[in-house]
Amino acid sequence: MRKVWAIIRREVVERVRTRAFLISTLLFPLLMAGLVILPGYLMTRSTGTKAIALVDASGDSLGIQVQRAMLAARIGKGDEARAKYTVQRFPAPGRAAELRDSLVAFTALSRKAAQGFDGILMVTDSTVSTGRANYYGANVASFDEMRDLEQTIRPIVIAKRLSSIGVDLGTVTQAVRPLNLETTKVSNGKLTAESGGSTFALAYAMGFILYFALLLFGVQVMTSVIEEKTSRIVEILASSLTPFQMMLGKVVGVGLVALIQLGIWASIAAYFGKNQGKIMAAFGATPGASPAFSLPAMPIKLLLVFFLFFALGFLLYAAAYAAVGAMCSTHQDAQQMQMPVMMFVLAGFFSTFALMRDPNGTAAHVLTFVPMLSPFAVPLRYSIAPLPPLELAGSAVVTLLGMLLVVWVASRIYRIGVLSYGKKATLKDMVRWIRTA
Amino acid sequence: MASNHVVTVEHATKRFAGHTAVDDLTMAVPTGGIFGLLGPNGAGKSTTIRMIMNIITPDEGRITVLDHEAASRDLSERIGFLPEERGLYKKMKVLDVLVFLAETKGMGRSTGRRKAGEWLDRLGLADWKAKKVEDLSKGMQQKVQFIGTLLHDPDLLILDEPFSGLDPVNSQVMKDVVVESARRGKTVLFSTHIMEQAERMCDHIVIISRGKLVVNGPLAQVKREFGGRHVALSFTRNKERAAPVLGDRTLIGKVDDYGASAEVELAPGGDPDRLLRSLVQQDVGLSRFEIVEPSLQSIFVSKVGAEAAVAPAQEGHHA
Repeated sequence: MRKVWAIIRREVVERVRTRAFLISTLLFPLLMAGLVILPGYLMTRSTGTKAIALVDASGDSLGIQVQRAMLAARIGKGDEARAKYTVQRFPAPGRAAELRDSLVAFTALSRKAAQGFDGILMVTDSTVSTGRANYYGANVASFDEMRDLEQTIRPIVIAKRLSSIGVDLGTVTQAVRPLNLETTKVSNGKLTAESGGSTFALAYAMGFILYFALLLFGVQVMTSVIEEKTSRIVEILASSLTPFQMMLGKVVGVGLVALIQLGIWASIAAYFGKNQGKIMAAFGATPGASPAFSLPAMPIKLLLVFFLFFALGFLLYAAAYAAVGAMCSTHQDAQQMQMPVMMFVLAGFFSTFALMRDPNGTAAHVLTFVPMLSPFAVPLRYSIAPLPPLELAGSAVVTLLGMLLVVWVASRIYRIGVLSYGKKATLKDMVRWIRTA
Repeated sequence: MASNHVVTVEHATKRFAGHTAVDDLTMAVPTGGIFGLLGPNGAGKSTTIRMIMNIITPDEGRITVLDHEAASRDLSERIGFLPEERGLYKKMKVLDVLVFLAETKGMGRSTGRRKAGEWLDRLGLADWKAKKVEDLSKGMQQKVQFIGTLLHDPDLLILDEPFSGLDPVNSQVMKDVVVESARRGKTVLFSTHIMEQAERMCDHIVIISRGKLVVNGPLAQVKREFGGRHVALSFTRNKERAAPVLGDRTLIGKVDDYGASAEVELAPGGDPDRLLRSLVQQDVGLSRFEIVEPSLQSIFVSKVGAEAAVAPAQEGHHA
C-alpha cells in the first residue's frame, strides 16, 4: 500500500507542480468569466439608448401611442434604469416611402452624427389591420432587440384593435398586460427554491463536468502511461510493483488532481456567483444586462449521488484509458486506439440532452443500468426527480460491478501491454493478453 | 531450496509467439560474489532476468529468489534491479526521482532522501540534485539510474547489461561500486555479452545460448575444465634437446612450435609437473613455463560458436 501511495503522491505532486497546471487552473475561470462578463458588457453597450426615427403614416393616434410606449420603455431596474429609446416622430401621411428614403441617409452611420438614427420604424394606416410594421436598421439581426421592439409595440396594436370594436380602453389595458411564467421546482412533494432554469443548468453542468473531466484527465492517464513506456521507466516500476498497483496509483493520482482542479474552479465560480453584481460593475457592465449566472443550490443528497457516480465513472474510464495507453507506444497510435472509449464518453454526454427532455422514460431507466453511461444518467435523473432508492442502489451496484470488470480487464491488458514496445497491439493481441494467466 | 543460493532457476521455459526464448534452464546463484549471466544477443538473458524479477512468469519450471517463489516484488527492498531498458522521469528533479524510487522499494521518504544525498555526493552529483533529470548529461543520468538501483542497499543486485552504453569513466565507477558491494557480502547477478568484463569481475558464470544452458560453474573451474591443458614454453639454449620431451605422445598432445618458444597442449592424462621435470633435466634453459588459462572469450566462442559470438545486435527482446 505504501508503494501505491508513492505512485499516487508522485502523480499528484508532479502534476500540480507543472506550469501547465497553474496556467490551466487560472486560465479556465478567466475564460468562463469572460464568457459571462463579455456578453453582459457588450449588451450594455449595444442596448444603450437607441435613437429611433418613427415614420408615422398611420394617419391617426397610433404613431403617437407607439412613441409614448417606446419612450416609457426602460433598460435595467430601479435607480439604474435608463430610457431604452429616444424617438423622433415624423408624421408623413401619404409620402412615407420618400421620407423613409431620405431618413435612411442618416441611419446607422459608422461615425455617429449628432442627428443620426440607429433605426427607422414605420407604422402605416394598415398596421393595425394587417399587424405589419417595418423597421430599418443595422441591428436587425439582434433577436433580443427586435423582440424588445415587438413587445413594446404589440400591446398598442392589440389595444387599438380591441378599442376599434368598442372594448373599453381600461379593460384593454388590463387585458394586454403580458404574462410572465415563473417556474419553481417541486421535488419529493416539497417546494424547492430552484427555478426551472437553474434545475436545467444544474443537470447540464453535472453531465458537463463529468464529460470534461473524462476528456481532460482520462486522456492524461493515457498519455502518462505512454510516457512511462517511452521513457522506459516502466520496467523499473514493474520490478517493485504489480501492474495493478501501478495502474491503481496512476488512476487515483490523476483523479485527485482532477478533484483539486475542479475544486478550485468550483470555489472560484461560487465566489463569482456571490459577488457577481460587484464584479460586473467593476467591468462597467450593467448587472441586469447579462443572463443571471446563478449557482443552483445543490442538495446534499444530490451532491453525494453526483460524487459517487462521478468517482465510479472516472475510475471506469480512467482504467480504460490506461489500458489504451498500455497498448500503444506513440501518441499517434493512441489517438486512434482511444476512439472506442471516446465514443462511450460522447454517447454518455449526449444522452443527457435526451434524458433532460424525458427523465423518466424507458431510455432513462435503461441507461441507469448501463455501467458506461449511468454515471451521466443517474445524477441527471436524480437532480430532476429523485430515483426510487431501490433503483438508485441497483444502479450503483451495477455501475460498481461494471467498473470493477473494466478495471480487471484493463489491468490485464496493462500488465502485458506496458512492457511491450514497438507496434501497437491488435485486437487479437488484446484478447490474448486478457486470457493469459 | 538451500539458502546458500539467493536465486534458483529450475527447468524454466518461456515461449513467445514463434520462438522459445528460454528453454529448460536450470541454474543457481550462490550467496555472495559476482555471478555473470553470459550469452550472445538474443540468447535469453533478459528474459531469464525478467522471470527472476517476476515481471514475466515462466511457462514451465520454478524460480525462487531469496528463498521465495514468485514474490520478488514483496522483497523489493532487498533487491536492486537495473533493467536493460531503463529510463527515468525526465521532468522530475534528480533528488525527487531517487526518493520516489526508494519509496517504491518500500523505503521511508526521509531515509530515502538521506541515502540519495549520500550517493549523489559519492558519485559527484551533489550539485545536480535540484536539477531536472532531462538537464543532465547521458552519463550523469546513468549514474542517477544506478543510484536508484542500489540506494536501498539491497542484498541482491540484479543488473541487466549494466555496462552497455557507458563511457569508460562511468563504466569504471560502476564496476567499482559493484565490486565493493560484492566485497561487503552482497550478491551481484549481472548479464553481459562483453566477455573481458565478465572475466575480470565474475566468480561464477553461466553461459546461455538460444535459451539453453551451455556452461555453468565457478569461473576458475570453468577455465580449468576447458583448458588447464595448455602450457607456454620459452627456451634460452639447447632447444633441440627439448624435442624428445615434446615428442612424448603420452605427455603432449599437440605442439605449436615457434622456435625459441612453443605452446603445447597436454595429452589426456599428461601432467604439467612431469613436463616441467623432464624439461629441467634436459637443461634447455627454461625462461618461461606457464600453464595458460584460456580466455573467457575463447571459451565462449568455442562453446557458443563463433557465429553466435559475433551475431549482430538483435532487436528482439520480447516482453
